[in-house]
Amino acid sequence: MDKDLEKLSAFYDGELSHNEMQEILKEMHSDEGKRNTFHKFGVISELMQRHSDEQNSKIIHLRNYYKKTNPVITNIATAAATVFLTLIVLYQFDEDRFQVNKETSLQLSSAISSDQAKLQLLNADQNIMEHMIHIMQSNQSNISQQVAQNWIPVGFSVNPKNPNQYSNGRNNLFFHLENKQLGIKQVKYFKANNNWIYLIPLKDGRLLTAYGDIPPSIADQMIQSIYQRN
Amino acid sequence: MGISKGDEMLIAEIKAGNEMAFEAMVLKYRPKLMSVLIGYTKSKDLAEELCQKTFIRVWQKINTFKGESSLFTWVYRIGINLAKNEFASSFSKNSKMTDQLNQDQHDVPEYRSPETELIAAESENKIIQFIQNLDADTKTAFTLREIDGRTYDEIAKIIDCPIGTVRSRIFRARKLILEFINQENIING
Repeated sequence: MDKDLEKLSAFYDGELSHNEMQEILKEMHSDEGKRNTFHKFGVISELMQRHSDEQNSKIIHLRNYYKKTNPVITNIATAAATVFLTLIVLYQFDEDRFQVNKETSLQLSSAISSDQAKLQLLNADQNIMEHMIHIMQSNQSNISQQVAQNWIPVGFSVNPKNPNQYSNGRNNLFFHLENKQLGIKQVKYFKANNNWIYLIPLKDGRLLTAYGDIPPSIADQMIQSIYQRN
Repeated sequence: MGISKGDEMLIAEIKAGNEMAFEAMVLKYRPKLMSVLIGYTKSKDLAEELCQKTFIRVWQKINTFKGESSLFTWVYRIGINLAKNEFASSFSKNSKMTDQLNQDQHDVPEYRSPETELIAAESENKIIQFIQNLDADTKTAFTLREIDGRTYDEIAKIIDCPIGTVRSRIFRARKLILEFINQENIING
């Protein structure tokens, strides 16, 4: 029985030969128990990938473990950890989706613009993705707390129609502030075509999300300034 | 990242009209797709509906899949596009669903297992905790497979053991997790 299920597990991982695959497909077709088990493999896999942040630490431990046993392996494990920690995800903005005007056109769509980005998205933290999608879709300035005026970069002024949108005439910057941190301990940023999304955990436990066409080189100064004042 | 060898074989079977292969593909990717769609729509019912439509579309369009991306990336794209259409239609009185799917063209297997897509948060934590407490050898092989997406051959090279050992360790992890899930009564069915 275990050998059968081991084969099912290998089939799930795409590790069977063509003949073995044909065989297991027939077995699955006539055995509901095997179909259920196969589906549960998928549920476990989804769960693992969604909680990949927690598993990251395990990979980092793995690196230490290998360091002791085989120094050559360290680089491989480090590369794996780097893949997990990479959270630069490319998004495609979709102005038509909500039929919004230009002013509020910085809407995030989870339609991803490249295969690589899609894969990265799938490995990224689901809660963070949901948070960003929620903010970009909501298009309501009143769901955000008021941001401190001294956080606003020099040269930017508020849009009278949206208290959380700022512009210097060339670049736009939106802010969203609320009481949650999503387990983020340091600034994370995501690229979205020519736009960027910054998740900035504040010392008081709130999360500031800033998004707009402000590259990290400029945003870095803003973030430093926010940390000095918060 | 292109298509894996396993998915390549599965796709070839589906293209040849093998419904058992299609069924296996649905079983394999449905949990991940449901997770993405629930995250996107914030509605389990809508996600269910879109998931069903996605797999119908996958069946209809399978011959257009060129293997330039992974199979799930392709499925994901179809699902998200359908979700976008759904959003667009709800935001416009005059809009209409652009995806007129004939559901009779292919009967997508329906599994009475939506609960498996929505394991309660505390149960998820229990499972993750259980995985973290697996013995080092089992956990290492399983994590390299599930999180890092390594093939058995790659894992065998990394941990310096035969492929058969990798295969049995990965299965052992799944078996132990399933036993834990059953014992804790986390997933029914």
